[in-house]
Parts: sequence; C-alpha cells; structure tokens
Amino acid sequence: MDGRRLPHEAGGGALSFLRNRWFQLVLRVALGAFFLWASLDKIAHPAAFAKIVYQWQVLGPVGSNLVAVLLPWIEALAAVLLIAGLWKRESAAVIAVLLVVFIGAAASVMARGIDVENCGCTSVTAGHKPEKSFFTGVGPFLILRNLVMLGGALLLVGAPPREAARSAPE
Amino acid sequence: MRWWRSLAIVTAGVTAGFLWNAFSGRGFVLGQSVFIQAGDEVIEAAEAKNRLDQGALFLDARPVDFHKMSHIPGALSLPEPDFDHAFALLEPRLRTHFNLVVYCAGYGCEASHIVARKLREKGIHAAILNEGWPAWTDAGYPTKQGAEP
Repeated sequence: MDGRRLPHEAGGGALSFLRNRWFQLVLRVALGAFFLWASLDKIAHPAAFAKIVYQWQVLGPVGSNLVAVLLPWIEALAAVLLIAGLWKRESAAVIAVLLVVFIGAAASVMARGIDVENCGCTSVTAGHKPEKSFFTGVGPFLILRNLVMLGGALLLVGAPPREAARSAPE
Repeated sequence: MRWWRSLAIVTAGVTAGFLWNAFSGRGFVLGQSVFIQAGDEVIEAAEAKNRLDQGALFLDARPVDFHKMSHIPGALSLPEPDFDHAFALLEPRLRTHFNLVVYCAGYGCEASHIVARKLREKGIHAAILNEGWPAWTDAGYPTKQGAEP
C-alpha cells in the first residue's frame, strides 16, 4: 500500500492480457479439452496405440507398451483437472512435461528419418490417408502445434490470472 | 505450486492405466510385442543365424525396394502388401521347404507377423525373426545386396 508496484503487476499490455482471467479460462479449457479428446481413442484401443508407439522406435516393445497403457490415462486425468479448475497449475505442469517429451521424441524421429504417418497423438486410426499425413504424422506441423500448446501450458503454470495472483499468498 | 500434486496426478494415471489394462478386457501382455499372437513362433537373431547355417529359407516381408538394397543371404522377397501375387510365384518352393523364417523392418513392423499368419492359413509354417532386419544387422550377421537371393 506504499504506492510501489508489485512484481506481478509489472509488464505491458500483452502480459496483462496473458494474465487475464477470462483468457486463461479459455486457454485452460481448450488445452484440457484437446488432451481429453486425444486420450479417449488411445484408452479405448491400447494395443492399436502400442503399434503406433512402436513406429516411433524410441523405447523398444516393452517400453512402448507401457507408454501405450499409461500415457493416455495421465493425459486424461490432467485434462479433466484442468477443465474442472482443480489443481490447475499442477495439471498444466504435467501437460507441459508431456509436451516436452513429445517434442523431443518427435525431433528424434525426424532426425533419424523415420516415416510415421500417424503420430497417434489424437487417434489410433487416422493416418491411412496420405494427404492427411502432414497433419497426423510426425513432422514440423506436430512440433509447431506442440510448441504452441507448451507455451500455453507454461503460461498456466508460471503466470496465474491477475486476480488470483493478487490474492495468492507469497 | 505444489509439486506433490503433479506427482499425484501421474501416480493416479499410472494406477488407472494398469488397472484398465488388467480388467477392461482391452488390455494386452506388456512384456512382449503386441504383434505376437497365439501360434506365432518368434525366434531371436542368434537362432535365426543357426537356422540359416542349417539351410533355412528366409522370406523378406519388407517392400521389394528394401529387399533389393540389402537382405539376408538367400532370402526371397515376399512383401506383405503384395502377398497374393508373390506367394503364387513362390508357392511350389515354399511347400517343399520345411525350415522357413520370415522377417521385416524391425519391432515397429507387423509385416512379418502378417505374412507368417497368411502362410499358416495356407498350411505353411514359418518362424518370425524377432525385431527383424535391425536385429540381424546389429548382430553383425551377413547381408547381401541386390535383387538376387
């Protein structure tokens, strides 16, 4: 109350917008909805998802099996919490870590010249149409999309809405 | 930010995943490739090399261009997408050879399993080389270039 600005109040209009509670609500629900949608087909068809993970050639059969069985549930739980507004920063942190892993794995696949027509990101049955492989396969589009979502997740982790920041204890 | 909450989310996800795999009826055996089905005979590279030395006939289920680049010595091309046509050409030889091994491009490749099953439907047994071509080359076993077996 001495007239000095608090650290979280510093910054320009862009930062103010990024910390707007309505913007963050939309971001949170959109990110959660995407990950929940992405998890459902994989949960329903774990063996089909495992076959796709094999194509990434990162972990071997057993490691890929574990990813196929466990990853969709972690995605789904984090997504549900994010949409519900519970443990928002923590669930966003989980999604951020997953995205970092996905980006690293995709970069590895591209660097090794492996052709994966369906990344298995959102569906285990897509990718049979070659004209769609740019959007469903492992490539620049996938990495760019994940980078955008990573930015959103990190924003939710590191810059809570302005109203919440004012009331949050140090 | 409470990190234990993130850890709890991951732990709950792992638990749910294992439970779903065990009880949903949609699960599978985690300790082996999902490509393996009942009736498949899967052998490791060392056993495949023994069988090659004993005169086994190898079948290359990869696309024919890969076969032309390099293959296991003596292997015949039997690409899975072109199975019916290739099988018709090879059938007399396959029916008189009782030591067959089929392989494809690695653990991410299902073609060898599909070819082995199609052969089984026709009354011909073929073993499957586990993890395929990379397992063979990583072991340092011989390869041959060109279209000729």
